[in-house]
Amino acid sequence: MKPAPFGWIRAHSVAEAVAALREHPEAKVIAGGQSLVPLLNFRLSRPSHLVDINPLETSLNQVEWSGSALTLGALVRHQRLAEHPVVRERVPVLSRAASHIGHWAIRVRGTLGGSISHADPAAELPAAMVALNAVLVAQSADGTREIPASEFFQGYYTTALQADELLTAVRIPAPEGRWGFAEVARRLGDFALAGAFVQRGSRVAVTWFGVAGAPVRVELTEVPADAREREVAWRQALTTAVGSDLEVAKVAQAVAVAEKAWSEAQ
Amino acid sequence: MAEASIQPLTVTLKVNGRDYTVTVEPRWTLADVLRHQLGLTGTHVGCEQGVCGACTVLVDGEPARSCLMFAVQMEGHEIVTIEGLTPEAGLSPLQEAFHRHHALQCGFCTPGMLVTATALLNQGKPLTEETVREALSGNLCRCTGYQFIVDAVMDAQGGK
Amino acid sequence: MQQAMRPQMMGARVSRVEDQRLLTAQARFMDDIQVPGMLEIAFVRSPHAAAEIVSIDTSRAAQVPGVHKVMTFDDCPYWLWMRGVFKVGQPALAHGEVYYVGQPVVAVVAENRYIAEDAAELVEVVYRPKEPVLDMREAIAERPRRVHPEAENVFFHREYQTPGFEEAFAQAPHHLSETFSLSRQTAVTLEPRGTAAMVDPATGRLTVYASTQAPHRVRLDLATFMDIPETQIRVITPEVGGGFGMKAATYPEDVVVVQAARTLRRPVKWISDRMESLLSDVHGRDDIHDVEVAFDDTGKIIAIRDHLMADGGAFIPVPFSGAVGETSLAAMVLTGPYDIPHLAYTIDCTFSNKTPLGAYRGVWGPVASFIQEGIVDRVARYLKMDPAEVRRRNMIRDEQFPYKNAAGMVYDRGSYLESFERALDMIGYADFRARQKALRQQGRYLGIGISCFVEPSAMASSEAGSVGYESCSLRMEPSGRVIAALGLGPTGQGHETTMAQLIADQIGVKLEDVIVLHGDTDSAPMGGGTGGSRSATIGGGAALVAGRQLREKLAQVAAHLLEAAPEDIVLEDGKAWVSGVPERSLAIRDIARAAYLDVKRMPGGMPVGLEVTARYLPPRPITFSNGCHIAEVEVDIRTGVARVTRYVVVNDCGRLINPTIVEGQILGGVAQGVGSAILERLHYDENGQLTTTTLLDYLLPEATDVPRVQMAHIETPSESEGGIKGMGEGSLIASPAAIAGAIADALEPFGGLVDRLPVQPSDVLAMVGRAAS
Repeated sequence: MKPAPFGWIRAHSVAEAVAALREHPEAKVIAGGQSLVPLLNFRLSRPSHLVDINPLETSLNQVEWSGSALTLGALVRHQRLAEHPVVRERVPVLSRAASHIGHWAIRVRGTLGGSISHADPAAELPAAMVALNAVLVAQSADGTREIPASEFFQGYYTTALQADELLTAVRIPAPEGRWGFAEVARRLGDFALAGAFVQRGSRVAVTWFGVAGAPVRVELTEVPADAREREVAWRQALTTAVGSDLEVAKVAQAVAVAEKAWSEAQ
Repeated sequence: MAEASIQPLTVTLKVNGRDYTVTVEPRWTLADVLRHQLGLTGTHVGCEQGVCGACTVLVDGEPARSCLMFAVQMEGHEIVTIEGLTPEAGLSPLQEAFHRHHALQCGFCTPGMLVTATALLNQGKPLTEETVREALSGNLCRCTGYQFIVDAVMDAQGGK
Repeated sequence: MQQAMRPQMMGARVSRVEDQRLLTAQARFMDDIQVPGMLEIAFVRSPHAAAEIVSIDTSRAAQVPGVHKVMTFDDCPYWLWMRGVFKVGQPALAHGEVYYVGQPVVAVVAENRYIAEDAAELVEVVYRPKEPVLDMREAIAERPRRVHPEAENVFFHREYQTPGFEEAFAQAPHHLSETFSLSRQTAVTLEPRGTAAMVDPATGRLTVYASTQAPHRVRLDLATFMDIPETQIRVITPEVGGGFGMKAATYPEDVVVVQAARTLRRPVKWISDRMESLLSDVHGRDDIHDVEVAFDDTGKIIAIRDHLMADGGAFIPVPFSGAVGETSLAAMVLTGPYDIPHLAYTIDCTFSNKTPLGAYRGVWGPVASFIQEGIVDRVARYLKMDPAEVRRRNMIRDEQFPYKNAAGMVYDRGSYLESFERALDMIGYADFRARQKALRQQGRYLGIGISCFVEPSAMASSEAGSVGYESCSLRMEPSGRVIAALGLGPTGQGHETTMAQLIADQIGVKLEDVIVLHGDTDSAPMGGGTGGSRSATIGGGAALVAGRQLREKLAQVAAHLLEAAPEDIVLEDGKAWVSGVPERSLAIRDIARAAYLDVKRMPGGMPVGLEVTARYLPPRPITFSNGCHIAEVEVDIRTGVARVTRYVVVNDCGRLINPTIVEGQILGGVAQGVGSAILERLHYDENGQLTTTTLLDYLLPEATDVPRVQMAHIETPSESEGGIKGMGEGSLIASPAAIAGAIADALEPFGGLVDRLPVQPSDVLAMVGRAAS
């Protein structure tokens, strides 16, 4: 299990990185590499070049609270996201979700931008972006564009990001209401069988991951106070969003995590 | 694929406090370079899938999978392997605790365990059985059932 | 014969002598063997479960710079085959046809593994796929076809019945039936397999480094399959990073590596990567049992009928068929520790287009325990009795030993009831039911599972594929220090410590003065290696006998020098003295000196030197350990996830050599049992593709999945040397059954019973869902 050959490009600026992506259409960006390198080792991914953006760490790892939004650089690593006092204070549900990613050694290397760009359907951070109504900032040789998270994730490992674009930052508006997060996995650190973010405020929304090719966000107009009725409501919300051909176990798990996230958002 | 530029690059790696200048292909993983170029075979390779944790090394003081990093990425970072955690003579207090508690059997996962446990102990936080198990959850062991490893780490903290 | 006067080391919690090198990165595992000029191999493996090979084109691969040779069967025309026993053998590289996904087809030998893999991608093999044979029951009926045209799919069949079975079964008041199954699982040693071979520059012989449990076996197989004189091969096992039965086989890759080294005249190495290991290490388990049980109103079980089936995969691994082991040996202990008078069974082992089935720790034991405990729990539930009480009523009583079970196996004396009652006490069984009831009110589902086990160990017949005896040669050097060499193949069990403990006691020297060598066919006498929980009993027995023989020699020399009778000589603390006259003493090193360097002081007629070789075969064909595991689990009925929360083990493996090492073995086995019960599953799809080829799909237990285990020991000595019994497998024999039982108990309000392992969340949710609808 050794990677096929590739060329190595160290990017010393975002401009250099996106120029390299434009020049080499078969190139891929490497950040933390925690999802990419296994694919390279399996030779399932065979880029002509890797564009290493780790040299940009100091410019792409900002954690900034503006008063109305949290801006996070693409190279913020999961462990830092989980532990950063500003994230903990302003968007605590995000730091909690980040602490559930993989294992310690994975979180130390893996990056926010990498996880979002990779778009694993069972990953926490893409769903967090959708749940939190984040705006994703992408840059290419042509300039910068902002993509709402709701339009970014298009299916299994598929995003709105173009091959020559680099995700540089995300902007998360101040979350409204109370939030809960829950996931179920076979073992600690495994990708979730199902996970959910629940927002309880002037509106109630649940965002699931691990149940479809991309995160699924559903707003509920009414959430029953009775737990049994609420369970029916989650089930309805899920089938409305993703159809009724989900496995029975998957549905049960999705309902269970929604309920758990709901009660944690008390 | 044929003409993909695989020109080897020359990099300087700081491993266990010592600088090594090596010429590597970009695709060579840090684990392979540590083992086969630098001769530091204490770092073991168990899966190359980022799951088993046998290849864990410290990068700037934090545990990381050396099978999921390329050596060319490591310039400017401080890498510590099991060789670097081993005193010139005898055993470190953590190694001593592993010995005392029978925290190893075949010994293949042991270097990765010691590296992760070192990072945990270096944090200086109070440990509970639960936090130790969580910190070690990314390091698989097939022989010991973990209990004696947990005991050793907790004991090493006491002894520190 | 006289044992050591006062054993000081046996039974002591001695810290391992192996640890120092392993902790300090000085140990040398297979991939650490690096020799100048060494080449590496990457294999092209079959992507099909079944296909004819139309053509193989290696020309592009051969042109890749750095490639030295691309080998097909024609370059390595050898078969791994127990000829005369089975009708089918496996070619080292595929010959005309492929039979399972992952079968080695072509070997690329190159400067390094990266280049070898680059070239392997360029090998063009054209296949004509065939319909794969994947279902065990279908295969028995020769559907959809024969896997091997020259052999029936059923390669092993056996039937057995106790006299009067049919009447006893028919007359019983109650009957239940169930089909039990165990998924395919595999050992997943943290260190993958690997082999290296090179011509020894000094002698021209072949040196083969093999990551194996059985060095002499590998030598014998290579010699036989490749027609090389055995004396021309030296097999060395470096440090081995786990074996668990999987590394007890000789593999096709071993033959290919040796052939590459021979033909290229270069050192050659192959290290399995993890994907290869999941595809091509022998798999284990994969059993189906159609079981019927007959019992009376009191819960007394009268008869068991079982149709045992196992899917042996495409070929029979050398030297051990996992399928035959899983079934024929499971049948011998299906009644476990219970006094069940009647048994009838039918066994069918079949070929399929899957990876060959071999040994994984416990082999036959886990399935036998799962069924026997599953039967007891079903009887209890049917009769609305306490499952502990049903066990108590059926358990073999102390006065029945030596006990002959319904299959004809004779059990050693053990602590069957005592270990069971003690375990109940440790887990607080009496209080558990109240707690369980209270938590159920809160929607939390706890369960308790009891697994009383017998552990067949130390097989002195060769059914486990190894020889029945073990050997130990002891050589006291002129310094008085001792070199011991055994044919064992330890993979983490600590034999350098435990064997030294036994020997040191016998000859009265310090532990550190006994160096134990193993894993080198040049230094060790012919032995069976490590597997089947044989090393402590049979290897330890050989160590004790050899120690005693050396002791006698030492006593003779000492007696001569001290002018006393040999029977009056005491050997202890590095000294020999005359019993009752401690001032008439000699240091053992002085005796050794006399025996080698001052030989005229030796007794007349006694050969020079202090060297013995002993072989030991235990008096019983199988030595039975026993014990009881009790697991407590909590099942989340909303997510289907089960978690083992508490665990107790009472273990009886006879006299303990080193309790700490025994406990390490128990803990490791319980963790593997957690995997077997709820996590580990090799899965083939409908095309015969293995879909679990990473450690993200094949789930091993993590530190957070395994509970803290509370352990206690009972020591009922065996009739073997030292009273030792084997114990390497008992914890994995017992634990899946305990956890399965606990899950069933937790789900009792839903009528839940566990009939397959592992229990996955979807299984739990299905049980809960069925109850709701």
